[in-house]
Amino acid sequence: MAVKAQQSRFSAFGAVNATILVVIALLCVYPFVYIISVSLSDGRFVAAGHVFGWPKGLNIETYRYILSTPRLGILRGLLNSVWYTIAGTTFSVLITFLTGYALSKKRLFGAGAILMGFIVTWIFDAGIVPAYIVNQKLGFVDNWLVMVIPWGFSTFLLIVTISFLRTIPDELEESAFVDGANDLQVMWRIYLPLSRPVIATIAIFYAVQIWNSFLVPLIYFRDRSMAPIQLVLYNLLIAGDADAASFQQIQSHGHEIYPVNIQAATMVFAIVPILCFYPWAQRYFSKGILTGAVKG
Amino acid sequence: MATTELTRPSTRPAASKRPAGGRGRLARLGRSLRRDKLLYLILVPGLIHLVVFKFAPVGALVIAFQQYSPFQGISGSSWVGLDQFHRFLTDPAVLKLVKNTVILAFGTLLFSFPVPIVFALFLNEVRTKWLKKSVQTLSFVPYFISSAVLVSILYTLLSPQGGLVNKVIEAFGGHSVFFFAEPGWFRPLYVGMSVWQTFGYGTIIYIAAMASISPALYEAAQIDGAGRWKQMWHVTLPSIRPMMIVMLILAIGQVLTVDLDKILLMYNPSVYETADVIQTYVYRQAFASRGFPNYSYGAAVGLIQGVIALVMVVTANRAAKKVNDSGLF
Repeated sequence: MAVKAQQSRFSAFGAVNATILVVIALLCVYPFVYIISVSLSDGRFVAAGHVFGWPKGLNIETYRYILSTPRLGILRGLLNSVWYTIAGTTFSVLITFLTGYALSKKRLFGAGAILMGFIVTWIFDAGIVPAYIVNQKLGFVDNWLVMVIPWGFSTFLLIVTISFLRTIPDELEESAFVDGANDLQVMWRIYLPLSRPVIATIAIFYAVQIWNSFLVPLIYFRDRSMAPIQLVLYNLLIAGDADAASFQQIQSHGHEIYPVNIQAATMVFAIVPILCFYPWAQRYFSKGILTGAVKG
Repeated sequence: MATTELTRPSTRPAASKRPAGGRGRLARLGRSLRRDKLLYLILVPGLIHLVVFKFAPVGALVIAFQQYSPFQGISGSSWVGLDQFHRFLTDPAVLKLVKNTVILAFGTLLFSFPVPIVFALFLNEVRTKWLKKSVQTLSFVPYFISSAVLVSILYTLLSPQGGLVNKVIEAFGGHSVFFFAEPGWFRPLYVGMSVWQTFGYGTIIYIAAMASISPALYEAAQIDGAGRWKQMWHVTLPSIRPMMIVMLILAIGQVLTVDLDKILLMYNPSVYETADVIQTYVYRQAFASRGFPNYSYGAAVGLIQGVIALVMVVTANRAAKKVNDSGLF
């Protein structure tokens, strides 16, 4: 520690180094700031290229317009995403914890073989086409449950859960058995309360994964009304949606709303929930990453 | 570090109060079924999921050896042996696909591997704690944002109609560029986006590795007269070498799994020349073809890629275990 204190004295190296790093870090998030700023600016200033950092002609008319115009599909997409994420995370955490709990018991005959089955299918990915054949047969095309069930169980998070559960001393379980509890009671009353950190970790992983998923809805939802916000954004901005072309400049309470304002606001809708949970997400994600990278 | 408490499996042998043993697997299974029936019960949803959503698609790969028709199903479709594979190998588009896949994959590796190391190396020299923490927090943000949003932002910034970047180019007297329609710009954009998206993640791993370096090493280096640079070069860097090797090997193992989401979001027919890769080709064969979707061909191409990826991942993981006694699985 003495060394560190000695090094913390002012030095040219330290100042230059810190400045460069801060600039890089700010550059990383600048595009998000820009988008937020565009969504809150008057369309005329954006089109003229006057918006860089702080919004010009600050207004919330774009958001008001999106929220009051359901035909754009943006509000629908947002609500879809919220629902998929809540339902999906609940399902995923439940199935991961239950399976992880059973497989963490070494006395369970066949636990090793089952875990091996998970790992093998994790390493060898059959690909998108065979999965589609199976899911189509099961009726997952144009079915919202495709966002919840088929990809709702991650082998990586199963292993994280099992590793955690195995750190809980067996004595706790044994004394409960002596008191006459059965496996379900032991799991529910003893292991579940102790497992809060790992449940938070896997919940965050799943929630981010579902919220951000793009390929699955792209393949499985032909019905536009089911699209999550990520897909709505894609249709609006990149795929050249017919609806997007019909966006005209709109006057609202003395402010101009341009298509670029609407696109930016849609991106903000797709980002904000993630940013709200970012402090927790960062903490638990780091734990998960380090688990994956350092110890398997 | 709290992480280790969270994840390290107990090394203590499972003190089984109900001794195992007995003759034969069947007898053991029978006893386990009786004794642990509730545990098996809670295993049922997971097992069903494993069979239906993880095993069944592997079984459905048989369509790679058929001319699969959705109306006739797997049992009714005609068998064509290795025709689909033969078609792939003689397809004139394949050379371009493989070339694009390899260039994108190794291009990404070339930049996204060293960037977080250099960044972490310098970040580690920042002694002001809150500053270090803030930089780390900000640089990790893009990792959580979906590719759809990141590509959309890029699209807006680079738009030829009023995009910020083109405004700047014009201000300096240049001509605006439609980046997303220029084949020459696809690879730099893809690689740049990958770095932007992932370097915060790598930084966290390396910073964690650097945090466990013993301060005594730095003290000794200082006594020997080593300055900042020498300490970074001769103490920090060698100390994280095992982690670097593991990360490199794992990255090589996954090198062929290019990010399908990202390419689908970024490409369009005008840049197919540089952007079309094996996975996007499979995707178009099966899900975006003008005529009948060709599932069998898509499955065959996917199978070839899956096998190559499997071999690479397993080999890489072996290597990682040898180097550092730690792998992915």
